[in-house]
Amino acid sequence: MSARRILAIAALAALIILRIEPRLLSVPFHRPQLARAYASFADRLWPEYPRFLEGVRAHTQSGDSIAVVVPTFDWDRGYSYAYYRASYFLTGREVLPLSDSENHLQLLNFRSAKYIAAWRTEVPRAHFTVVWSGAGGVLLRR
Amino acid sequence: MAAVLIAILSLTVLGIPIALALDRGARGPLLIGTAFLYGSGAVFLILLFVPWKLPLIVGVALMLAVGCWLLAVQKRLRPTANGQRPTIVDLATLISLAAYAIYATLAPLWEWDFWAIWGLKARVFFEHGGIDWRFLESRWNAFAHPDYPLLVPLNFDFVALIGGGWSDRWLGILFIAYAVALLLIARALAARETSALFAALLTFLLSWIATSRFIGLAEGALIAFGGAAVLFIRDALRRDDAASWRHGAVLLGLAANCKNEGLALLVAVTIAILLLAWRTAAVSAAGRAASRRPEGETPSAQPARTPAFRMLFRLWPSYALAAPWLILRAMHTLGSDIVGSHAAARLVARLRFTPQILGYLATKLYHPWFWVAILVGVILMPRVRERFVLLVTAIQVVFYISSYFATPYDVRWHIGTSWPRLTEQIAVPIAFVVFLALAEIVRRGEDARDAEARSEQQ
Repeated sequence: MSARRILAIAALAALIILRIEPRLLSVPFHRPQLARAYASFADRLWPEYPRFLEGVRAHTQSGDSIAVVVPTFDWDRGYSYAYYRASYFLTGREVLPLSDSENHLQLLNFRSAKYIAAWRTEVPRAHFTVVWSGAGGVLLRR
Repeated sequence: MAAVLIAILSLTVLGIPIALALDRGARGPLLIGTAFLYGSGAVFLILLFVPWKLPLIVGVALMLAVGCWLLAVQKRLRPTANGQRPTIVDLATLISLAAYAIYATLAPLWEWDFWAIWGLKARVFFEHGGIDWRFLESRWNAFAHPDYPLLVPLNFDFVALIGGGWSDRWLGILFIAYAVALLLIARALAARETSALFAALLTFLLSWIATSRFIGLAEGALIAFGGAAVLFIRDALRRDDAASWRHGAVLLGLAANCKNEGLALLVAVTIAILLLAWRTAAVSAAGRAASRRPEGETPSAQPARTPAFRMLFRLWPSYALAAPWLILRAMHTLGSDIVGSHAAARLVARLRFTPQILGYLATKLYHPWFWVAILVGVILMPRVRERFVLLVTAIQVVFYISSYFATPYDVRWHIGTSWPRLTEQIAVPIAFVVFLALAEIVRRGEDARDAEARSEQQ
């Protein structure tokens, strides 16, 4: 048998063996634990936040504009997550961010939004009506 | 779960007449694999242009299916090798697919890019009852990458329309279907060139590559459409087979509707075909000139132009399928972040960091030893025969790496979050050809070297 053939056999075997993913093969044996972990993966930062957004969705209508207030306005330390997640849960509504990727406050959005969805953050309520509160937050209507 | 399964079945049934219209001889795994992908592509085009009323969508789909069926029965049946008997190795493939199926359906889709990009757009469009251009045009939604093509979100919407509501719980099943479709096609194409055992071993290898870990992102679809397209065009070039050209061209056009990397793949395939056609023309021109040339005259390397144009013309369905989204995207001025303003300036400014960027890419390579094995295989194999796939892969890698030089984001962050996905997108075709070439060396030993010498002379 030539050296080239031996190398070809070795390379073929390596190709197959190196691609096998033992972690994927172990998934069926740890399904319940993994299912729990993956189900909470997206919201590991703020596990209660999706429940709040579902409440906001239930108390608003399609087309409503909603500004989101959360404990941070720092884009990379939680606000981007809060804004993106709200966009997903509140489809049909116009979700307006109060911060951007440069960490500039967008106060115009606060003024133009019909609703303020404030989660785990105190917001002055002087000019607002409380529509709903629960899951750690409050939904205010201007 | 029922809605996703019914959607997959519907897409496959819709795709069968389309697959037969393109390739009357398609049977077995090749027919089923291509049928699902064509059904997925057809539903994307229907939802792109037709108002979102289920009876209307079903009506248009039926008209399309009947039209394709009439086209298919008019064609003469030419028997094609589409598959082989199952082997014991296929059981191992089933085990790998079963593990992937469990992984893909562990929970509601969890990836950040699903609920911030692909799933978000699908859910917005579903509630809107069509493509919500106002959402895509809003500057506040730039994070959702409005310029990304819509095949995958509109596939999600097809499931939602069938289910009568939005649910992300079982959408992962679609990603199993994309992978299985590609594996069925790869198995059928491999069976045309090698033994049942090696075709089964290759399918087992690909079952780890075609199954994207990024459930809910367009990666799974791009790997399936792009991988199948490149394999069909390779087959077309190898056998000069018209049906494989049609499959390859249509699938390539649909790949361009999965992700911007699919558009890049269309460009890469075009460049690779031009280079191959130019070289073939140059070689044949040199051969003709040598036979007529007076003694002492030097050979001319002027390429003949016709073969390149003829081959490129066969890609017209790819461009026709890529065009609608590109036109709509331009009409609605949905800009791309990578090639946005000052991209050239960023690229030039980062050139001096080339060693650092390449070094970082090397450290972030997913399955690095697999790529080392691929490189060893490329060194061992007769490369001339597989120039097309090698060229396409090389050009696509150059595109990917260039994007890191032009990115408006932090380069390290961008590489860390995308490089493992990008390398997986191009792994199927290169693994396919390297495996087959090595298998040929193993099967035929010294004969393979003779075959290589013959192909070098061609």
